[in-house]
Amino acid sequence: MKMGLYENMRTETVGRLALRDPVVVQENATIRDAVTAMRKNKLGCAIVLDRNRVPQGLFPESELTQLLSKNSAVVNEPISKHLKKDWPTVKITDPIARVLDALESRNVRFLIVVNEDGQLAGLTGQKGLMEYVAEHFPGQVNVQRIGGNPYPVDREGA
Amino acid sequence: MPEKQVPAESEDFQDPLQNYEPKEYSDPLEKALAEKSVAEIQFRPVAVATPDTPIHKAVEQLASLQVASLLIEEDGRLVGVFSDRDVLEKVALGYEQLKDNPVSEVMTKDPAFVYESDSSAAALCVMAVLGFRHVPVIDVKHKALGIISPQRVTAFLRKHLNG
Repeated sequence: MKMGLYENMRTETVGRLALRDPVVVQENATIRDAVTAMRKNKLGCAIVLDRNRVPQGLFPESELTQLLSKNSAVVNEPISKHLKKDWPTVKITDPIARVLDALESRNVRFLIVVNEDGQLAGLTGQKGLMEYVAEHFPGQVNVQRIGGNPYPVDREGA
Repeated sequence: MPEKQVPAESEDFQDPLQNYEPKEYSDPLEKALAEKSVAEIQFRPVAVATPDTPIHKAVEQLASLQVASLLIEEDGRLVGVFSDRDVLEKVALGYEQLKDNPVSEVMTKDPAFVYESDSSAAALCVMAVLGFRHVPVIDVKHKALGIISPQRVTAFLRKHLNG
């Protein structure tokens, strides 16, 4: 028997989500380096790791907008200066409900996914959660008629 | 005066929906996706700019309002969206050269949208299937009424997951 979505979210783990490959940049990279990598991978954030592959912080695209509004040459600054160091993480073995909790309580778009040793395992976030919901209710979500130009050449990316 | 014709009992009006049984949903969220309109999710007021707004002004507007997207309207009609993603993809690396150009050069034109009366599932479709994070809500005259952000959808999911 098919379980309700909330029951599924409490029993299925984060590893069940379609995790994205994160963009990883060196600590001494510039914002320009990070933006170049984020554009190439169509991803809205970049992560800096330590030598043990443990995340040290995340640079989100929202921070880029904030910085550009104050300093038009900010892309030449080191990313380490603008890294968000207390970014929320979830373990790949956590229940999916934990993703919803973290997205809501921290008001973020991305969550860093780590393994049991705290090492980077992937990236998820609002889009991953919505894809999971859409997959659960294809009869409601996938059949909608959308206005405008709903079939772009490229998806916006995560 | 002719006597009013009264239909015989067998000719009484038959309600074509009298045997209609509303769909039963196995999950409270599925019911909400089908029956709640986007009006329940959308955020108002929306941050709006015009197509001739200089890019640096649009970037400053995004930053000061702490929003991830601006709706671009011309003559009261939605013509585009300018978002954090456009800043990343089209603006950041050439900001010095581009910042005085009009935002219409870098906005996402003809964005996917939903009507206020559409089901909330339509908004989820734009995000999860088409891959856009911000969904304008418009009226029949193509005027922007609101916007649906992923945060709003997350809150909607939370509200309805347990019925």
